[in-house]
Amino acid sequence: MTIDPESEPPQSPTTRRGTPRHGSVPLMETVWVTAPDLNRRAALERTRSRLVLAAGGFMFLFVAVLLKLVDATIIQPLPAHQPERHAAQPFSPPADEQPAQKALQHEQRAMITDRNGEILAISLPTASVYANPREVADAAEAAHKLKQVLPRLDEQTVRARLSSEKQFIYLARQITPGEQLAINRLGIPGIYFEQTEKRRYPMGRVAAQILGGVDVDGHGIAGVERFFEKRLHDDPSPLRLALDVRVQAVVRDELSRAMQEFGAIGACGIVMDVRTGEVLAMVSLPDYDANKEGEAEADARFNRAVTGMYEPGSTFKLQTASMALDSGLVHIWNQFDASHNIHIGRFTISDFEGKHRWLYLPEVLAYSSNLGAAHIAQTMGAERQRAWLRSMGMLARTGIELPEQGLPIVPPAANWRDVVTLTVGFGHGIAVSPLHVVRGTAAIANGGILPRPTIVDKDEESPQGTRVMQQSTSDTMRKLMRLVVTNGYGKSAEVPGYYPGGKTGTAEKVGHHGYKKHANVAAFTSVFPMNAPRYAVYMMLDEPHATAATHGYATAGWVAAPAAGRVIARIGPMLGLLPDLTDKAAIDASLYIPLRPGRERAPAAPVASANFRREAALRMTAGPATSHDPAR
Amino acid sequence: MIEQRRLIRAAPSFGLSQKLLGINWLYVALLCLLAGVGYAALYSAAGGSPEPYAARHVLRFGAGLVLMVAIALIDIRVIARLSWPIYGAAIALLLLAALFGHQSKGAQRWIDVGGIQLQPSEFAKIALVLALAHWFHRASWERIGNPLFLVSPAVAVLVPVGLILKEPNLGTAVITALLGAAMFFAAGVRWWKFALIALPVPFAARFAYNHLHDYQKARIDTFLDPETDPLGSGYNILQAKIALGSGGTWGKGFLQGTQGRLNFLPEKQTDFIFTTIGEEFGFAGGVAVLCLLGLIVFGGTLIALRCRHQYGRLVAFGIVFNFFMYVFVNIAMVMGVIPVGGVPLPLVSHGGSAMIMVMIGFGILMSVYVHRDVEFAGPDVGASSG
Repeated sequence: MTIDPESEPPQSPTTRRGTPRHGSVPLMETVWVTAPDLNRRAALERTRSRLVLAAGGFMFLFVAVLLKLVDATIIQPLPAHQPERHAAQPFSPPADEQPAQKALQHEQRAMITDRNGEILAISLPTASVYANPREVADAAEAAHKLKQVLPRLDEQTVRARLSSEKQFIYLARQITPGEQLAINRLGIPGIYFEQTEKRRYPMGRVAAQILGGVDVDGHGIAGVERFFEKRLHDDPSPLRLALDVRVQAVVRDELSRAMQEFGAIGACGIVMDVRTGEVLAMVSLPDYDANKEGEAEADARFNRAVTGMYEPGSTFKLQTASMALDSGLVHIWNQFDASHNIHIGRFTISDFEGKHRWLYLPEVLAYSSNLGAAHIAQTMGAERQRAWLRSMGMLARTGIELPEQGLPIVPPAANWRDVVTLTVGFGHGIAVSPLHVVRGTAAIANGGILPRPTIVDKDEESPQGTRVMQQSTSDTMRKLMRLVVTNGYGKSAEVPGYYPGGKTGTAEKVGHHGYKKHANVAAFTSVFPMNAPRYAVYMMLDEPHATAATHGYATAGWVAAPAAGRVIARIGPMLGLLPDLTDKAAIDASLYIPLRPGRERAPAAPVASANFRREAALRMTAGPATSHDPAR
Repeated sequence: MIEQRRLIRAAPSFGLSQKLLGINWLYVALLCLLAGVGYAALYSAAGGSPEPYAARHVLRFGAGLVLMVAIALIDIRVIARLSWPIYGAAIALLLLAALFGHQSKGAQRWIDVGGIQLQPSEFAKIALVLALAHWFHRASWERIGNPLFLVSPAVAVLVPVGLILKEPNLGTAVITALLGAAMFFAAGVRWWKFALIALPVPFAARFAYNHLHDYQKARIDTFLDPETDPLGSGYNILQAKIALGSGGTWGKGFLQGTQGRLNFLPEKQTDFIFTTIGEEFGFAGGVAVLCLLGLIVFGGTLIALRCRHQYGRLVAFGIVFNFFMYVFVNIAMVMGVIPVGGVPLPLVSHGGSAMIMVMIGFGILMSVYVHRDVEFAGPDVGASSG
């Protein structure tokens, strides 16, 4: 500090400043000290001593706060990881009851944590109060006293029940330790306590459907709680899930935002490690507070990610393209007829914003051509298609550790007619869960290994699962997925430095009379970073509505892809991936694939002109999608 | 040489460049450092992004800094002459807010001035400091001892306190009353008079409690026993404690906190920003921030002591006291020492109105420092004009 503490009036009165007459500036002289001046000095002096006192007060309070900080962070930190200790602390039983308490804790249902150890579910000790009416001497007095402690009881009813001839009645279940203490103090003979436990979910709505819940007796009734019932009951060590609650919260946040913005009736999001199949986040909206499971609506309990079966729409074109490329029957520069609508049976397959010409395979994906995809599927044939879908796990349950997982809705083999082959090529006539789509996307991006989706933390880092396609097919597909984001309908998912790639899919929902014209399921399935795939991000909105900002479109490119981009931008740093902008030119070049052969050079040398031309081409050819066509 | 300098009465006015040099830039640097801490904490609270908090925080601080330097260059005697008009304006604003202000979370404490939201109560506190300093300036020991002399300033305190209570903003009203009491104390009002005022406080508190809004009652109740309702009103305090505790000695590391990041803390970017610091930088970070705040408080007190006129001394003290109250109430609130009351951590929390008022306060403090040696004309300014 440059503040001079010696600024006080000098010691000798003769060297003090003169009278406060304005204007005259004596340099040095004998000063006449006048009465008002003395007064003023006395006031200053008094204030000075008071200020020093106040400074002492400040110091005292600062030290007090500091000590409290020591207490809160070092001496008695309130640990997020063991809140049960805190809750139980004020009411710790007397010493002679300690062994019983220990035994009880040993039997407690195991905690469930996320991959970083944050608690998702925990059992707190609680008590139920019951009575043996035969031992209760004065039912009226007992009922009256109990009413004082537990105002929620009805005194008349309690009195009647306490007067009955039964030997066991529950008075109240899951009372607080404070209430237990108070009832104990009443000293009513015939009143007893039963030690039980209560399941708490500290994260509330985050991951509610995944965790499921327990019934009043502490048995899992849904979700992980049910699937791992025996494990949680027998083994007291915490069950560590693959979920990362930070990622889960981000996905939930972005989904709620998109859901609100587009007035959707529901939403679903998944983040998966493409190498291990670990599910880092799985969100289904609307959701509910896991602590109030009983009040939740059926719609909120429904886990869209594993139970919901939706027509995947255009996201399935990734499957069709990789199947074709992997078979060797189709080359990347083969062309497919998208010049005419296909009439088959009573169906008409058409393109949205069709090019009305033959398209190269990259164009089929970038422009999301139904006709192109249908023709590719036709080329491959029903047998290969079914075999491919089976190997990609699209015809069976995913095998994730959730009892709610559903079975895909697939036409029976005998009924797999030509029209089915064609429509499945662009993701219609088949319904799978979002988790199926994510896993398929992960396999396409990770080098061709189909992971087993899991909700439990795995220690392995290397790819787990079965090989379903050649490495070279996956390499080509990564470029094509990237192309969709750089040049196709997925542009709003772009996050600089994370090189996401993916595929949009807008499917009209099936109603009672065929497809509903104005009820879409808009999804975007993506993987980032495309140069070294790590995480698959899937975002889906159920029945989104167009807004002014989306120019009247409620399609995936407008509603789901931006949400996926925001999720990638937020979770990337959390997961330890930093945006890589320094190697942008090299990475762009390694992921580059033109829309059409020979039309453009790789962007390595003349980056600017190539980009410009690509953008110009896009402006001319690819507009946004509308909703008059079953698939995009 | 030094002896001589002491004898030379400061010129009534001196040049702008001289004044600029006269600003205590080390103190300004401390303020910048604190705002920098705020930037880092807000960057983290937004999940590792300058949007939407940190970037605006810096902009506001920049604007506040300019405002502060501008005010520092105003002669303190000009400010002194304007004390009572400013006070009048503050009361008018409080009345205006009561009549036309819009409600925010159950409290009518904001008014729009050309699109900028103003919190008149913050303005009123600084105006009160100026007015009381003016009143007590050159008041003699005898006059201070005269109870009648204390009636006017007491009214000057009670009017804004009453209006703020009416908003209703209990926390700020209490702080404003304490600020007034501190000014009385610094001016040298006798000890026993404080005792006389303090004596009926418990009864008044009892009476006031019965007239509180339910949410205010809930805050006090959960403060007294936060564990009674861990998922309701006690939630804020409990989560704040958990966040602080989870930081340990050295913290989880920048951007590594979870309690703050996951929206478990409803006001993590405003009132509970200290928990983000505590979680990510641990005890060490918390102590560092406390030390920085302490340096600012004690530096301000030194400025008050260094000043050679009563007005400047009292004003500087009032401003420092106001800042200290912000800091103390906020941190004590976060650590569950006093009830939650919606007080931001100055220069760290997100929030424009409070930041601008704090910077205006520091501007006046700087003006006191720059003009620490000036002479006040007239024999008895305080008593006559009040």
